[in-house]
Amino acid sequence: MITLSFFTDLFTESFMQRAFLAGIMLGVLAPLIGSIVIIRRLSFIADTLGHFSLVGISLSLFLSYSLGNEIFADKPLFLGIFFSVVGGLLIEAFRRYYKSYKEISMPIVMSLGTAVSAMFFSLSKKTGSLYNYLFGSILTVTDYYIVVIAVTMVVVILLYLLFFRQIISVSFEEGNAKFLGINLNFFQLIFIIVLSVVVSILLEAAGVLLISSMMIIPVAAAMKVGWSFRSTTIISILFSELSVFLGLWGAYSFNIPSGATIVSVNILILIIIAFAKRARLAAAKKRSKQDALPDSHQGI
Amino acid sequence: MLIDINNLTFAYGHKVVLHDLSLTIKPGDFVVVSGKNGSGKSTLVKCLLGINAVSNGVIFFNHEDINYFKKWTEIGYVPQKFDDFNYEFPITVSEILSVSKLHKTPEALKLKLLDDMGILENMNDSINSLSGGQIQRVFVVRAMLNHPRLLILDEPTASIDRKNVEYFRKTVNRLHAEGVTIILISHEQMLDELDYTHELHLDPNLEHTYKARPVQPPTEDIA
Repeated sequence: MITLSFFTDLFTESFMQRAFLAGIMLGVLAPLIGSIVIIRRLSFIADTLGHFSLVGISLSLFLSYSLGNEIFADKPLFLGIFFSVVGGLLIEAFRRYYKSYKEISMPIVMSLGTAVSAMFFSLSKKTGSLYNYLFGSILTVTDYYIVVIAVTMVVVILLYLLFFRQIISVSFEEGNAKFLGINLNFFQLIFIIVLSVVVSILLEAAGVLLISSMMIIPVAAAMKVGWSFRSTTIISILFSELSVFLGLWGAYSFNIPSGATIVSVNILILIIIAFAKRARLAAAKKRSKQDALPDSHQGI
Repeated sequence: MLIDINNLTFAYGHKVVLHDLSLTIKPGDFVVVSGKNGSGKSTLVKCLLGINAVSNGVIFFNHEDINYFKKWTEIGYVPQKFDDFNYEFPITVSEILSVSKLHKTPEALKLKLLDDMGILENMNDSINSLSGGQIQRVFVVRAMLNHPRLLILDEPTASIDRKNVEYFRKTVNRLHAEGVTIILISHEQMLDELDYTHELHLDPNLEHTYKARPVQPPTEDIA
């Protein structure tokens, strides 16, 4: 039975354990950063960074092909992270250059990233691997990838806890930063670097085309049921973990790219939440109408 | 906080909004800035907040040129509109105030300010469930939370109904009595009920006037 073999392999196969561990950690990281991205209305930025991160991946494959050195081919994540950060800094530079049209920065950086990575992929003669990078392949993650995620997660959570006040107040209202003694430019710089690193790490699991979905959708669903920032964050992590687990099962059982399965579960949760909320509101409306009936009769 | 404004002239393109404005606001003064729409009230606020760039030697806070001024945490500011704030994402009033604290402000002070503004019962409500007037009062509390030496309020009662303006009036008068310097922009009919000390009237024809208010007997709630 498919489901049973998934669970037995989860305990016996090291590749499954790596995928599970990676998924659990990404399930925390993605919505944690995603909520800040949503609050700052930068949802499109993750896609852009993902495309630019692909420059590093494709360059790794190209270097390994042209130099005959497998180091680059084995660990494309490092150049991916490097180029994601470069992409983030480019976005920031363009946002300052086009102050009244900040969103212009995204298509410029995204198209540059896509064009350059297409060239390197083509020159590396490894266009076949492009499929995994576009849609994700969490089942093939290696030990070094787990270490990179773990280190990133510890750093991100530490930054989050240490600078929670600054992160939240600036994210909700940039204009208030000055009165709280927060250096807005420095904050932007650190945020874009952290986001770039997280995006390039998510690339392996979700794929370039679905990175932003993994960050944004669990938070978008949690926003509809959360009653405070804290509750929304916790709920988004729970949704994210659920989608990672079910997505992993789907990817393993049906041999589908993990990005596709994880994001499909995310979307499913979002739809269920939307319908449940609508049904709850309709029921509440009906109840209040019924409660009001006796009074109106009395009035008559 | 001592504020010196020396020959401030500000224009948007060719349109001069403020012309040759000079005045000194002493610590503890309560200045009401009045004037019609378009007379430059909000422009003046933006100059004082460093949002509108002014030349060196024009505005000083405690003898320090605004272009080199660093102690912005000593200033509390309530803008006229909160378009900059993201209301859609769930965050409670209490959470907003917690992340806006600069010091370990006692919980009692937070509760007192919320009570003074008539929104204590909304403390655990998400900001996206509040009315415009309630949100405005939340931001007044936020500006007061860090014991500012200067409080700048840009039409803070614009969305607050008459009944709740009373909460605001009492709180601002109390802060003035405690020695906070206050600059309040208003074109509403609530000025007589405030214990302001000076009035700056901005005129669209650029004939600005700044005068001290004749001494008033203290209001009951302060006495």
